[in-house]
Order: sequence, then structure tokens, then C-alpha cells
Amino acid sequence: MPNLLREDEKSTSSSDSSTHQLTVALAGNPNSGKTTIFNLITGARQHVGNYPGVTVEEVRGVCKFGQTRMDVIDLPGTYSLTAYSAEELVARQVLTEGKPDVVVDIVDASNLNRNLYLAIQIMELQLPMVLAFNMSDVAASQGLKFDLDMLQQRLGLKIVPMVGNKGTGKDDLLSAVTETTRQAETATGSLPNYGEEIERELVELQKAVEESALLTDLPPRWIAIKLLEGDSDIREKLAHTELADLADKAAQRLESELGDNPEALLADRRYGFINGVCREAVQSTVESRRRVSDRIDAVVVSRILGLPIFLGLMYLVFQLTFTLGGPPMEWIEAAFGWLAVTIGGLWPTGSESLLRSLLLDGIIGGVGGVLVFLPNILFLFLAIAILEDSGYMARAAFLMDRLMHKIGMHGKSFVPMLIGFGCSVPAIMATRTLESRKDRLVTMLVVPLMSCGARLPIYALIIPAFFPSKWHGPMLWIIYLIGIALAVFCAWFLKKTVLRGETPPFVMELPPYRLPTLRSVLTHMWNRSSAYLKKAGTIILGISILLWAMQQWPGLSATQVGEFETMRTAIATDSSLDESFRDLRLEEIDFAEAEATLQSSLMGRVGSVLEPVLKPCGFDWKISTAMVGAFAAKEVFVSQMGIVYSLGEEQDEESEPLREKLQANYTELQGFCIMLFCLISAPCMATIAVTKRESNSWMWALLQLAGLTFLAWVVTTAVYQAGQLIT
Amino acid sequence: MAASSATPLSESLEDYLEAIFWIVKEKQAARAKDISDRLKVARSSVTGALRALAERNLINYVPYDVITLTRHGQSTAEKIVRRHEVLRDFLIKVLSVEEKEADKAACRMEHAVTNEIIERFVAFAEFIDRCPRANASWLQSFGYHCEHEKSANGCEKCLESTLENVRDQSMTSSSETTETTTLDEVKCGEKASIVRISGSGSIRRRLLDMGATNGTIIEVERVAPLGDPIELKIKGYHLSLRKEEAKRIIVQPI
Repeated sequence: MPNLLREDEKSTSSSDSSTHQLTVALAGNPNSGKTTIFNLITGARQHVGNYPGVTVEEVRGVCKFGQTRMDVIDLPGTYSLTAYSAEELVARQVLTEGKPDVVVDIVDASNLNRNLYLAIQIMELQLPMVLAFNMSDVAASQGLKFDLDMLQQRLGLKIVPMVGNKGTGKDDLLSAVTETTRQAETATGSLPNYGEEIERELVELQKAVEESALLTDLPPRWIAIKLLEGDSDIREKLAHTELADLADKAAQRLESELGDNPEALLADRRYGFINGVCREAVQSTVESRRRVSDRIDAVVVSRILGLPIFLGLMYLVFQLTFTLGGPPMEWIEAAFGWLAVTIGGLWPTGSESLLRSLLLDGIIGGVGGVLVFLPNILFLFLAIAILEDSGYMARAAFLMDRLMHKIGMHGKSFVPMLIGFGCSVPAIMATRTLESRKDRLVTMLVVPLMSCGARLPIYALIIPAFFPSKWHGPMLWIIYLIGIALAVFCAWFLKKTVLRGETPPFVMELPPYRLPTLRSVLTHMWNRSSAYLKKAGTIILGISILLWAMQQWPGLSATQVGEFETMRTAIATDSSLDESFRDLRLEEIDFAEAEATLQSSLMGRVGSVLEPVLKPCGFDWKISTAMVGAFAAKEVFVSQMGIVYSLGEEQDEESEPLREKLQANYTELQGFCIMLFCLISAPCMATIAVTKRESNSWMWALLQLAGLTFLAWVVTTAVYQAGQLIT
Repeated sequence: MAASSATPLSESLEDYLEAIFWIVKEKQAARAKDISDRLKVARSSVTGALRALAERNLINYVPYDVITLTRHGQSTAEKIVRRHEVLRDFLIKVLSVEEKEADKAACRMEHAVTNEIIERFVAFAEFIDRCPRANASWLQSFGYHCEHEKSANGCEKCLESTLENVRDQSMTSSSETTETTTLDEVKCGEKASIVRISGSGSIRRRLLDMGATNGTIIEVERVAPLGDPIELKIKGYHLSLRKEEAKRIIVQPI
């Protein structure tokens, strides 16, 4: 990291000299190791996944090579440049409108044919391009030998062999990039020929396109090809009915002549061209045999063992999160306890200082209460990272599709939902892998029901407080299952009502299993956990302080304070009472005063207003008040409860753990209802904001907020009322 | 029913029946006005024709009520429509006639051509499709021939390449005549080559992009434990598909 900064400074300081500025776009199929190479050349911390289409956003990084400063854009992984999914559209837009100086197409050398298909489409865009043959070690181990000279000549491109996860080939790639831009003009002679009939139509269309003088910054031949393929995006952009008609007629002619529609014909010819090139330049020395990946799949997705392994893995993930996360949690707890005592010691005992109260109760209490759960979250994200990078995520979608399809969803929805167990925010962003907008919306709306990492603190607080230790694991499992069941129900409901529509095709690659590299898994884990930390550091700290302030103001009136004071002096001067009883009475008065202060505070008032509404759920005004905070971000609930109770027991310097207080004040049923309400109710504000951004409408975001809150209220009320009848 | 089918329908009655068929398909039921609009005839003549059709038990007709087809009427109409479509396709695809003109001609030819001749048209089109000497590109050169000057250049080359194609095909698939099936019918562990992907839309495009072009060999690896998506091996990588999507891939088992 410091290295990168220095390079940045250097380039800005020397920009007046001979520094070149280049824009480089990284393109490639999903699972081609594109993101690994992006990280390799930019040094940026970026998410690397093995599930098709993990990179859904356009990510940029900077790289300096010699005198050249490169602005690198990591495109979403796509198989083609047809406007088929959101990712393809983004990739295409960057290539056609962003006009990068060089395109680097990352090619999985062990799966050359399919990967070159994208390369050919980029070639047709006539952009300067370099091919990076990634995973050339895997290809070599599969007995593939490439005649790189011949390939370079046939394709008219520079090819650089690389092993992204081992870091080899980086300099070769960068120097090829700089050389390619220097040459600037593209080799067009090496483009595929689509055969006499199609070429004839293409030439005609190209002429018409040139005459229309539309979209002149794109190669007319490419426009002609897209027109012939019936590409809706290009037709919209041209908005030229005559051209569209011409293309339709040409397509009809071709269809009657060649017996298939141009879309299929063009794909066929492109693959034919690739086959031709590969036949000459690629040698396979080993008979293709069953690979390791196939052997793993023979067990992992097998008919009998597939589902047990899947369920077992999921259970393991959660057990790991807790058993491994336990000890570090205790250390952090101890550290914050020590910090509170040390800082509290700076003031004289019994001090009423506002600053002390702010530091201890607002800041240390609030942030500490959240940081304590960081180990849990780290382990959960670690597990998810391993599942993703190894390639198991795609298998999970494969295994689950039947089930998801039953409720009208796509197997791919399963992955965002799984990520939803970590955090709803990246999960909602991961829905971009879904092709249909309706599917995306359904997934987005129900993802928050997958219990996210921020809710873990609440369960971790409440479960040990109310349930015996042998029930800890199963109880958590039950809570998660309830979330899943409700998500299924809601998805089914939404699909039946507001979001009716056909489910899109399930065409998904199952990438070969790869041993996740430590670096990639750790980066991955860190990226997500740091997002959580940032939230803890900023939003939650802010909310903690806000809530602290809400409890402090407006405070009791002078007459009320005076009343408590007179009661106190009355008892203190009453000599008929013995010493210990007098202290007890004094303490009771302090309790009452603190209680009165909180109730008259802003937060107490909001909580009281909500109390009658939340009473059927079994919540008193304290829980209601904490729920107000949890509305902003779920994890705030814990710190909120801490603050609420530390106020109520202010006299007690040796603050007992929150759990014991909960135990003393609530029943098991109430504890369960708290978890239930937190599980179902609207997620943090960030989730709503992301839903708004991803759905591009406030309506869906507000629907999510209102719908989940309502559902939470209904379910919790039902459980509480039923539970009371039974017990 | 025997009585009604004994006397063949007149040309105009066939047109009426066909019109009703299309209107019913669109709107569930037809009105006299729809028919007169569609055929551009007077309302009065429609009434007469409707009576005649009702007498033959082809339509359910009561004055001032909507008109629907009887089961017999439905099947008769379907036959007429099929005749029309076969003729139209033949004119467009085989004879390279322009679409509008072909449609018009087919309208008139459909009444004169018997069912046997229709079947011959179908058989001939299929034959051209299959016979290496008269394949799709042969038809295309016919279309070209109609529009441009007539010349006999390149005959030798054409025949040579035809022979080459025939040899290639017999090399790649030893038995050309094996019947096709859909991919979902292929058992685990068996291989098949793609003949075509029926239908259109996103699934077809995605499959094409991912290399499932005609002639590509697919191996069915396994079915998911819950019985639905299937896993395929294609061009050396693994792909999963739902069975309902696999149904649209027409293959030839190997």
C-alpha cells in the first residue's frame, strides 16, 4: 500500500515530463482470473471470486510501468458482448463509449475456445488489444501446447502467457500493453470471415450504416454485425427504422438461404474460425482424462451425497464462526473493559461529568459492543470467501436451483442470499448476476431476511442469556432457518403477486474447482469485514452518540430534581433507619430518578410512543427504545441495550454484563421475540439505500422497509401471544 | 359429419372458414363485422356464407351472437391453414418469391391443390434440405440466379465442394439418418451432437455465446440431486441447464 501511494505521487509530480497516460480495460470470461490479474497489476485490494460474475461493478485501479501511468478498469466478466445481461451491457458500454486505449483480454488458456469467442468480438470493435493467456500452468498440466507465434500471427495480436495467482508474466503484460498502444493501428485482416452469403449481406449493411453517418465512432462493420444479430441495444441507439428494416430483410434472406437465423450462423462461424485457429496452433499432448475437478464433483454434487454435503457445509460454517470466534471475542471484551476502567479513572469517583459519560457510555460502550463481534464476522466471511473462491458457490446454485425454481426464483439467487448471511449490502449488489429484473427485485427484497452478520451480535447476546449452553448452536440454527423459511415464503408471495413473470434461463458455468489462494481469501475476507468495520466506525459511532444525546436531553426539570433531592435528604436525616436500610432506600431513589430521566428524555419519549404498538410483541419501552436504534443499523441494538441499562443502574460502578440484566428483566419467550423481531424487521439504513440504488427506485426501497417491518410485527406478535398461551 | 364432408367446400367458403379461424384465435370468438372487415366483403354476403358453414356443422352460428368453430370446423380450418402455410413457405424458401407476393399466391393456390400434392411439396422441400446435391446453398444460388444474369460458372467447383462436404459429414457422423431427440432425453454419461436450438430469445443467444453451436458435442454428466438442473460437458467445460431448457436443444445421440 505505501508503495502504491509513492508511485501515485511520483506520477503526478512528473506528469509534465514524458509520462504517458493510458486507459486500459481488462475484459474476460467469468472465472478467467481477471480480478486476480487486476489485483496483480494495480495492487488494489479487490474482491476475487470463483462464482460466475462476482465482479459486477466497474472497478478501477492505477498502475505505473516505466514512464506510463495506466488507469485500469476491471470490466465485469462476460462470455460475449451481446446485450444479454446487465454485466454484458456494462462491459460493452465501457468498450464502445469509454474508448480505452488498450483492451487486455484475460483468457483462460485451459479453456481456449470459449474464451477466444469474447476476444473475437472485441477484435471486431477494432480496439487495440493484448491477450493474456492466464492459468498457462493449468493448461500445461493438461497437456496443452500453444504455438504462440502462430496464434499471434493469425489473430494479429500480442499474446502474453501468465499465471495470475503466482504473479508471473506481469511485466511482460505491461510492456506488451505499452507497445500495443504505440503501434495504435489494429490488425483488421485477421478478423473472421463469415462466409460468402453473410459477408454479402454485411457489406450491404455496412454501406447503409456508413451512409446513415450514425454512431460514427464505432466500426461500421461491427454495427452491421450487431444489426444482423438483431441486437436490440444497437437498434435503439441507431433509432433508424430503415436500417433496422434492411437488417431484418437481410436476416430473412439468410434464414431462407442457410436454414438458420443469423444469430446462430454468426456464432457458428465465429466458433468455426476459432476452431480453425486452434487446430493449427494448439497441440494436445495428453488424452483428455477425468480431471481432479470432475472427480470432486462426482462426490460433491452426486445424487446421494450432494445435499447432505451441502447442508453439512452450511452447518459447519456456522459452527466454525462461533467456536473459532469465541476466544478472540473474550479478548476484545476484556480490552474494552480495561479501556473503560482506565478512562473512567481519570475522573474523580461519583463525578457527573458529561464528557466522561459520553466517552464511557456513548463511545466506548457503543463501538466496543460492536467490535466485540468482529471475530465472528471475520470467520463467517472467511468461510464464504473459501466457498466462493474454490468454486463451490456455483455448485450450491446447481444443487439449489430446483428448490429456488419452485418458488419462482433462479438458482443464482441462492448465492446473493447466501452472501446475505454475511451482509445484505454486498448481497444486494451481487444480485446483478441475475438477468431478469424481476428476479433481481425479488432477491433484493427478500435478501434481508437471510440473517446478516450484523444481527449476530444480537443473537450472541441473547442466546447465552436465556438458553442453556447445549441449546446455543441449535437455537441459532433455528433462527437462521426461520429467516430462510420467511424469505422463501416472501419470494413465492412476491412472485405470485407484484412481480409475476417468467423465470429466465438457467445457463450457468460450473467452473473447475480451484484451491483458493491464501492471499485471495484473506483479501476477500478483509474487504468485507472492513466494510462492516467502517460501518461500526462511522455510522454506528454517530448513532451511538446521537442516541446518547437523546437520552441526556432534555433531562428532568429543576423542580423534579429538587423533589428527588428532598426525598434523599429526608431519608439521610432520618435517624430512625439503620445504616444498611438507609443505603438501600437511597439507591432505590437513584434508580427512580434515572428511570424518570430516561423516560423524560427524547429517546424515552420515542420508545414510549412505540410501546403500545410493540407491546403485543412482548416488548417494553426499553426494548422499543433499543429497536429505534436498531432501525438504523441492526448491531446498534446491543450497544443501545447497554446504554439503556447502564443508565438505569448508574449507581453500580461494577456494571454487570448485559446478559445478566436481560435475564433478570425478561422471560425466555421475550428473548426469543427480540431475536425474531430483529431477524425480520427492516435491515440497516445502508441496505435500504443500496436497494434504492440497485432497483433505481425509492418505491422498492420503501416497500422493502415497510413490508419487512410489518412482517416482523405480525410474526413476533403471533409468536409472543401463542407462546404466552402455552406457558 | 359424413354428409357435410362429402361435398367439398367452395373456395369462398374456405376463405370464410380460414378468416373465422384467425379471428377466433385472436379474440376467442368472431362477429360478422370482424369477418366482413377482414375479407373486405359486404355484411350481407357474410350472413349467407355463415349459414352455409353452419349447415355443414363447421361453425356455431346464431344470428346476432358471436361465432365459434365446431370441433369439425376447427380441424377443417387447420387443414386449410396448413395448406396455405406450406405453399407460402415453399414459394418463399424454395422459389425465392417475395413474401407478400407469396402470401397472395398461396391464398389462391390453397384451394386448388389437393392434400396429396401438398404433402409432395413438403417432401420436396425436405428433400432439398437433406440432399447434398441440392442443399440450402444450392437454393440460395437459385435465388441469386433469379435476380442476376444467368451463368454457369463454377459448376465444377461447386460439385467438388459438395462431394467434399458429403465426405466430411460421413466422417463426423457415421449414421446421418439416426433420428433426433431433445437433450433432456439423453441419459447421463451419453453424448450427443447439437442439431439446432429451437425457439429464440435469451437462452438461445446465451447458449450460442457459450459455444453450443450446431454440431457441437455435448456430454450429459449428471442430474442434480433434486432432479432438476442437469450438468453438461461442452467444449471441455461444465455447464448447467434446466431440463425445460434442455428440451429446446435438439440433438442427435452418438
